[in-house]
Amino acid sequence: MNKSLTRQLSHEELEKFGAEIEALRAKTVADLGARDARYIRNIYKLVRWSELAGRALLMIGAFLPTPWLIGFWILGTLSLALSKIVDNMELGHNVIHGQYDWMGDPHFKGKEFEWDIVATSENWRKTHNFRHHTYTNIHGLDDDIGYGVLRLFPEQRWTPAALLQPLYAVIFALMFQWGVAIQDLRLGQLFGPRRKAARAELRRAGVPVLKKVGRQLFKDYLLFPLLAGPGFLVVFTGNLLANGLRNLWTYTIIFCGHFTTEVETFPKGVLKNETRAHWYWRQIRGSSNLSGGFVLNTLSGNLSHQIEHHLFPDVPANRYVEMAPVVREICKRYGVHYNTGSLPAQFGQVIWRILRHALPSRPRATRLAGARG
Amino acid sequence: MSTLASERGGLLRRLVGPLVDPAVFDFWLGLLNRSWTWDRPLARVLERRAESADAVTLVLKPNRHWRGFRAGQHLNIGAEIDGRRVTRSYSLSDQPRADGRIAITVKRVEGGKLSNYLCDQVRVGELLSIDAAYGDLHWPARGEVAGLFLAAGSGITPLMSLTRAWAAAGAPGSLTLIYWARSAEQLCYAQELRALAEAQPRFRLHLMLTQDAQAPVARIHADQLQALLGPSEDWQGLQVLACGPGGFVDTARQMLAPRVQRFQAEAFSPAAPLALDEVRPVTVELRRSGRSLTLSSGESLLSALEAQGLRPPSGCRMGICHSCVCTKHEGQVQNLQTGEREAEPGSQLRLCVNRACGDLSLDL
Repeated sequence: MNKSLTRQLSHEELEKFGAEIEALRAKTVADLGARDARYIRNIYKLVRWSELAGRALLMIGAFLPTPWLIGFWILGTLSLALSKIVDNMELGHNVIHGQYDWMGDPHFKGKEFEWDIVATSENWRKTHNFRHHTYTNIHGLDDDIGYGVLRLFPEQRWTPAALLQPLYAVIFALMFQWGVAIQDLRLGQLFGPRRKAARAELRRAGVPVLKKVGRQLFKDYLLFPLLAGPGFLVVFTGNLLANGLRNLWTYTIIFCGHFTTEVETFPKGVLKNETRAHWYWRQIRGSSNLSGGFVLNTLSGNLSHQIEHHLFPDVPANRYVEMAPVVREICKRYGVHYNTGSLPAQFGQVIWRILRHALPSRPRATRLAGARG
Repeated sequence: MSTLASERGGLLRRLVGPLVDPAVFDFWLGLLNRSWTWDRPLARVLERRAESADAVTLVLKPNRHWRGFRAGQHLNIGAEIDGRRVTRSYSLSDQPRADGRIAITVKRVEGGKLSNYLCDQVRVGELLSIDAAYGDLHWPARGEVAGLFLAAGSGITPLMSLTRAWAAAGAPGSLTLIYWARSAEQLCYAQELRALAEAQPRFRLHLMLTQDAQAPVARIHADQLQALLGPSEDWQGLQVLACGPGGFVDTARQMLAPRVQRFQAEAFSPAAPLALDEVRPVTVELRRSGRSLTLSSGESLLSALEAQGLRPPSGCRMGICHSCVCTKHEGQVQNLQTGEREAEPGSQLRLCVNRACGDLSLDL
């Protein structure tokens, strides 16, 4: 399973490879302009209008006779789910990466953007932008490997609890936004040897999280349902389902990005003397793409281009689609495996990992995945 | 009354504020009127007219979030050009008015992104971003002052604002304006200034054209000033304001500062060319914490700040995670990875991969 499909590169080859990736980045960044600004503003419009449509349909539906109510409820829920998905994926995730900082528009500042999910953007910047993107797929450093809940790689320690992970995985998928919200709070340490410090830290770091959680719950499960008066339950259930659909979708996309069969994980040792070129090389080997068109790209926040996103996390995501063929061609020349497949195929591989590693498993090879050429 | 209104707004704001996402508010209200924002000051272009051969005056109407100005102040104005907000500082050329309208006069600068945009492309009705007015040029609002304004080139704009305010206040004391420009075509406000000089005996105007076809005059020098103002022994009662390029202001200061009652100046100069590879100490102002530090320009700002014992938020230290991003109010930086330089006010700066090229002001 850990057998690399990527051939080893000599130091010189690796540096040349890195320079080609760097050149693609420079060329794209130099070309950013009105087209990209228009794109992200259109995405923003899509989020706002689909949210309005969703909430309006649910609210109006609550006052219609039953067959109409069901139709409005389904459409309203789907529209609200679409709004939340695009808000989280193509808008929030990408803006928070600082992809649109160059515009100088205060509404698209990565450092200040807040999104429609219980997780605070502040914690996300730390767990995702920093830890996950810097230490991608390194055991012990990238908490996104199984999110501390699932065993997906043989290098992770097996415990009998893993036997139940096919069940946890479903619960985790349904509650995914909550997993993201508490990821940085490190609740596991509350019961560990450092529990005193962990509790003090939780009291400090927990306040903004509770505030954000309160705001989200108030909005979706109190304010808008109450506005519908007697239709409280119609709106409440619609909002609950919309949040749930968003959870399932984001979970599916994100898991396809790093947990397919051919992705590689790394021991901490790879960080020793890691150059920028080596970092690029590691990002590609630890990521997998989804093949699809405009709709999949938009709904996945362009994480269908997970490889390009990991090479260029702060380049506007709408550019990945044109960068991908170039990256792929560079990879081909240097013998770097470019992992891509359809959504069902890639997600099937993820499910297989969840099932397979519920049982004890052992890494097939133990060689370091670093370039020692 | 305006205080009362803003206090009422303050109470309402405190109540609903926590529920409002400014971006969402601006989006929906913007469908009705794009200048209705939650808290961003914006100004609508009401009029664009030629002021001279290479300058235009824009009349702007700020929205309610702008706090007004004193005559002689400047403000940062930004427009989106090819997807990027470009912000530059301009002097307000009109006096403060009851209807809240403001005016700036923009001189075309060769290769200047914003000045060319404002001279050629900006449309009436377009919205520009604005910041709070700033600037310390101070002129007594009343009192019998013998004033002398020295303007060179676009240095006329803040002095025009002060001249208009002086005339509107009933022209107390006396005022002399000496205004250097290359040619008659480059003079701004010439008609209005001449009309004021004719109507107002306490206002004396000297227009100095240094490249005039018929009668060119020299740039500022001592004999010239004596010819216009009388012997220098009689200058001690003067209060002087000088505005223009750095060299002009320096000359004026040398000649006048020791001999007059009060001398204030503002220089508009393009940033001095920087010796880029030179490693030298630079002053970095941390505006939010009210501190000022001297750092070396030779290393990344993150390392340099850490060397001073500061702990700004940071993460990957390789430019990818944006944890260390902070707003750069002013100054030029260089990206250590690409070698590119950047001097845009208000831009988002990654401390870990940029070094200072000169003095900086950061939002830390």
